[in-house]
Amino acid sequence: MSAVATLTSLPDLALPDHTGRERRLSEVAGGDPVALFFSRGWWCPKEQRYLRGLVVIQEEFEVAYSKLVVVSVDPPEVQAAFRAGLGARFLFLSDANRQYLDELGLREHTDTVHDPYRPAAFTLYPDLAIHRVYNGYWFWGRPTLEEIRRDMRAISAAVRTDWELD
Amino acid sequence: MLATGLRVRPDPRCIRRQPVQGLWAHVCAAPTRDEALPYDHPEVQQVRRDALAWWIPLLGSSLVCLTTLALDAVNYAGAITVTTEPAFFEDDPFARLFPGAVVQTDVFCHVPPPAGPAIERYAGVAWPGGMF
Repeated sequence: MSAVATLTSLPDLALPDHTGRERRLSEVAGGDPVALFFSRGWWCPKEQRYLRGLVVIQEEFEVAYSKLVVVSVDPPEVQAAFRAGLGARFLFLSDANRQYLDELGLREHTDTVHDPYRPAAFTLYPDLAIHRVYNGYWFWGRPTLEEIRRDMRAISAAVRTDWELD
Repeated sequence: MLATGLRVRPDPRCIRRQPVQGLWAHVCAAPTRDEALPYDHPEVQQVRRDALAWWIPLLGSSLVCLTTLALDAVNYAGAITVTTEPAFFEDDPFARLFPGAVVQTDVFCHVPPPAGPAIERYAGVAWPGGMF
């Protein structure tokens, strides 16, 4: 069983973002639900395709008080270029030092060249408690845009005190 | 209060902590109250998208903080970008809406830039401040 399968809450990752500025995941969440994606890196066609989908849904996140974050082993300057090429306006975090690969049990052993993350998606409550985990090693294991919407809706319903009509 | 006499509200985090000395600010502000624009207008939404997409990455580590200026619960009266050096201000996307002026300042502090992709305000606080 991978380390991540036993987690109920994600560690408060401390990593540089795509501009090189140090970030903590809890600061990034800022009281909002989070969709967090561990991604191999810019070179992978599956990641390129999947992240183009996230660019589509960012237009909903930008008005929905929710955060969208991608973690990869690409250095910040590579992430900045990849992000710009995608047209993304969400945050990339760089784990170029492979700091959390083993702690999370997400080292992809089948890629011995790039030593990347095994793709995985987490939907998180604002305090980083895990709502749902998706194993994205197989592309179809990744959350669809509709599943992301469903999870953000469930988390928002749980944390927004004025969710229900009086 | 701006030099024009307009009273505006910034993201309060930008002036909450110990100020940093010797900074540069690019102040893009509505000349008069009547020229303010609703935050919900497409051009005001788009400039926030541009800030997330390329303005903040372009400034890199020189960025100290960035705030829009709220006139009231609805209206946008400009933005201030604060940096350690007066570079790239000619590219400031906020200057598309209101003219910019470069000033030296000692009143702002470091604030992490917005993570994105949210461009909406939180309960009327000047973007990117506030939280629920």
